[in-house]
Amino acid sequence: MENTLSKKTKNVLTVVAIALFLILVYIGDITISPGSSWKMMITVIEKGSIFALVAASMNLLNGFTGLFSLGQAGFMLIGAYTYAIFTIPAKSHNAVYQYFDGGLIKWSLVEILEDKIGIVGHYIGMLIPMIGAGLLVAVIAFLIGIPVLRLKSDYLAIATLGFAEILRAFFQWNTLGPVTNGSNVLRKYATYDNAIFPVVVSGICIAIILLLINSTYGRAFRAIRDDEIAAEAMGVNLFKHKEMSFVISSFFAGISGALLAMFQTTINATPFNTVMTYEILLIVVIGGIGSITGSIIGAFLFTAASEWWLRGLDAGSWLGINSSLMRPGFRKVVFAILIMLVVLFYAQGIMGSREFSWDSFLAWIKGRPEAIKTWPARRKAKAAAKKEARATKAAARAKAKAAKDEGEAKKASGEKLFTALPVSDEVMVFGKEGK
Amino acid sequence: MINTWLPYILAGIAVGGQYALIAIGYTMVYGILRLINFAHGDVFMWAGLIMVYLVTILPIWASIIVVIIFAILLGTSIEKVAYRPLRSAPRMSIMISAIGVSYLLQNFALYITGGLTKTYPTIKWLQKSVKIGSASTKMVTVITPILTIVLVVLLVLLIQKTKIGMAMRAVSRDFETSSLMGIDINRVITVTFVIGCGLAAIGSVLYFSNYTGIQPMSGAMPGLKAFVAAVFGGIGSVPGAVVGAFIIGVCENLIKGAGWTTFSDAFTFVLLIIILMVKPTGLFGEKNIDKV
Amino acid sequence: MAEKKDNREVVLRLSDITMQFGGVVAVDNLNLDVHKNEIVGLIGPNGAGKTTAFNCITGVYEPTNGAVEINGEVVIENYPQGKMKDAYKGKNQGKYTKALTMLPDKVTKLGVARTFQNIRLFKGMTVLENVMVAMHMNQSESVFGATFRSKKAREEEKTMREEAMELLKKVDLYENRNDMATSLPYGKQRHLEIARALATHPSILLLDEPAAGMNPQESDDLMKFIGRIRDEFDLSILMIEHHMQVIMGICEHIYVLNYGGQIADGTPEEIQANSAVIEAYLGGDE
Repeated sequence: MENTLSKKTKNVLTVVAIALFLILVYIGDITISPGSSWKMMITVIEKGSIFALVAASMNLLNGFTGLFSLGQAGFMLIGAYTYAIFTIPAKSHNAVYQYFDGGLIKWSLVEILEDKIGIVGHYIGMLIPMIGAGLLVAVIAFLIGIPVLRLKSDYLAIATLGFAEILRAFFQWNTLGPVTNGSNVLRKYATYDNAIFPVVVSGICIAIILLLINSTYGRAFRAIRDDEIAAEAMGVNLFKHKEMSFVISSFFAGISGALLAMFQTTINATPFNTVMTYEILLIVVIGGIGSITGSIIGAFLFTAASEWWLRGLDAGSWLGINSSLMRPGFRKVVFAILIMLVVLFYAQGIMGSREFSWDSFLAWIKGRPEAIKTWPARRKAKAAAKKEARATKAAARAKAKAAKDEGEAKKASGEKLFTALPVSDEVMVFGKEGK
Repeated sequence: MINTWLPYILAGIAVGGQYALIAIGYTMVYGILRLINFAHGDVFMWAGLIMVYLVTILPIWASIIVVIIFAILLGTSIEKVAYRPLRSAPRMSIMISAIGVSYLLQNFALYITGGLTKTYPTIKWLQKSVKIGSASTKMVTVITPILTIVLVVLLVLLIQKTKIGMAMRAVSRDFETSSLMGIDINRVITVTFVIGCGLAAIGSVLYFSNYTGIQPMSGAMPGLKAFVAAVFGGIGSVPGAVVGAFIIGVCENLIKGAGWTTFSDAFTFVLLIIILMVKPTGLFGEKNIDKV
Repeated sequence: MAEKKDNREVVLRLSDITMQFGGVVAVDNLNLDVHKNEIVGLIGPNGAGKTTAFNCITGVYEPTNGAVEINGEVVIENYPQGKMKDAYKGKNQGKYTKALTMLPDKVTKLGVARTFQNIRLFKGMTVLENVMVAMHMNQSESVFGATFRSKKAREEEKTMREEAMELLKKVDLYENRNDMATSLPYGKQRHLEIARALATHPSILLLDEPAAGMNPQESDDLMKFIGRIRDEFDLSILMIEHHMQVIMGICEHIYVLNYGGQIADGTPEEIQANSAVIEAYLGGDE
């Protein structure tokens, strides 16, 4: 172990890095003009930090407690609605709840507190419903947990998924319209005005999750993950600790739901479906199950890829490549394939179960010059290996191409059908690469 | 009284039969691989979607055959590519892989359809009007339960009487021992997927004939419900899945009939949670004891 | 069966414990006493129901009939109910009328710790963390306090860590404290399992085949080790073991099971001379 940093230096480094990042985000959001393509980066930071929080909360359950729960989207939904309902300005109620006589709740916490104590009240008025959203979700999760957490892993997955669906139906129920606006959108509620807000809130929440994981309770959670029976034999009350993990995870999912509501400025229950839960799960997998650092990196990569870098795939041109295949929806297909590749060939994800530390980070940086020096040699070796693989694959590819040409020919003869053919093609091709 | 409820009961039996055809795929795969095949509902959706495109070039009967073959190929390739390499990995990994496949299939469908709802072709014979008692209904409502029961009887015979059926039962009992006994596990699993996806494809023809539209998310809800049906009946048991599916189909339609349409989906999950609480092994399931 | 004479108090007593799975009686009417500071052996051929008996004591299974007494108090009791009422094949039906169950973690809190036949360490954790998990139940800070590192939480964490280190020193694992538990050699993993069980502050220790897979030298060391921890931690020990050398060398009293039933009990000398035991191990005349 060559010169590791002292604890103090590390703390200083951490504080400086965080402060620098926050200042950059703050200034960035003020100075970058809305038309600039860099604005996208700010959007990615906002949405990425929100998804980092919900991914970290899911990781607490799936990666650290070993509970395969798929209820995250449902919990975000409650969080988002709770926040929105209590912050819609009084004068906007008639417009928002136009089908429900202006709704049941005719006041906004933000306005009430702003009137009383000014601008500080404005923010307190946002924080109270946000934390309240988390608490409400926690209570609901507690109740759901009583029956559900006694189930074995795969049943737990289905039951939580089921609860999320029930919640979605419940929020769209017309009878609750005066509060939830039925199946119509909620809008005009208070939102933040600088990207630094979601970053700070998520940051604090993730820090709390990390503190929890590194406490004696976190150790008990991991013991349950590794071996339930042994954990129980060591005096860990399974139900109590699972419930704890579930409730805390849901609390943070609720907070992230509230943040998402602010980010989107309008919300509706429909998109909080299984696909959303799957996306959160895939972020966790990409980052590494059992690594909070991984979840954060995964969330930013996922958002950057889907909102920014791969945008061109939907618009017809990407990295200078133009293709008629690139029409709306193509981005998500490419994305889904990338994710499948990670799941199949890179199951550890980016971080495995490791966390960020200054020591390993510096070691990694120090390793770079050496890595760059040996890069040509490694590249050569890789290229040689690739060439060989390519030769063996050539035959297979020729065959695939023949099939494709045939499809193309049929397509030319006026059939739209064969746009569908690549599905089996694609699946086959990367199946072969894997072997 | 009976006249007001009869249409709902009939519709329930029909949709129950359709769920049953999907549920068999879930229950058999779970029985053998202990995997919730999250992608099964999407294979079902794709079978429906392909039908939409096929009828433009083929006659209906030929399209149905191609759809069945397509679903079988899709299902078995998913197993080969996404599940087989992970067979020795932790349970969670293979479940995640299934979710990844589901996500891919949905997104691909979204790309192909451009997010638009496609109109499912009308199969005239299935749409014919039939009178049962005082209620008038479509042929598909009558055909579904009959066809379902015939297929299930055939399947049960296959499982009970043939060699491959015996191999399936052995593998579902004990995966490792059966492979040591010289049973070709891969073949058994492939056959399982062939049966499950083939039945799901037939189910898709019946199911989508009842609805006019099909879109990328069309498979998710019936898929989840079919899974619940499988759990309800006792996962791993084919007759159990069928009984469970009929019960769910009828209850769901009765709830719709009572004017609680919003909660007809939610009901399924309430039922699931009650069942898992009261009798986690389902109606026909066997008790498993964890070895310590 | 001879009533055993021992003036020490009974810390663990199984009365008529019967465990029936479906139609299979895995443990049939087991009666067993462990006295204070005694080392008791539980032996029998494979499938005799030894581990199942452990599982009944520790709350992993609910026995079908019978009672478990820990430190003079009945904590687990059951009788055939529901379908089992008619299906029950064991003896003493009707003798027990209460249904008392206890989850494994509660049993551990009462001072009964165990190890597992097939080692069950926490794979994703270090040696030190494995031991510290077992101390978790004795700390009193709430999850809120622990997360925000209250003074109490910091103190408790510190004591826990120090105590765990002490324990690891005693079992010769101190050098390995920061290694992943699964990277340890087999013999050390067995030691770690025992250390982990000791960390729960037990008064009764249940060892499930601690010498499995060890060579004579290693099992000899283990034997001494078990004797040492019995004295040092003031333990009463019930152990399942196949190594006769270990059992005969260390146990004061031995119970023999076969096909779930109890075929003999006595001192090592008595057991060695018992014809039923010899028959069970070597096979009868048929």
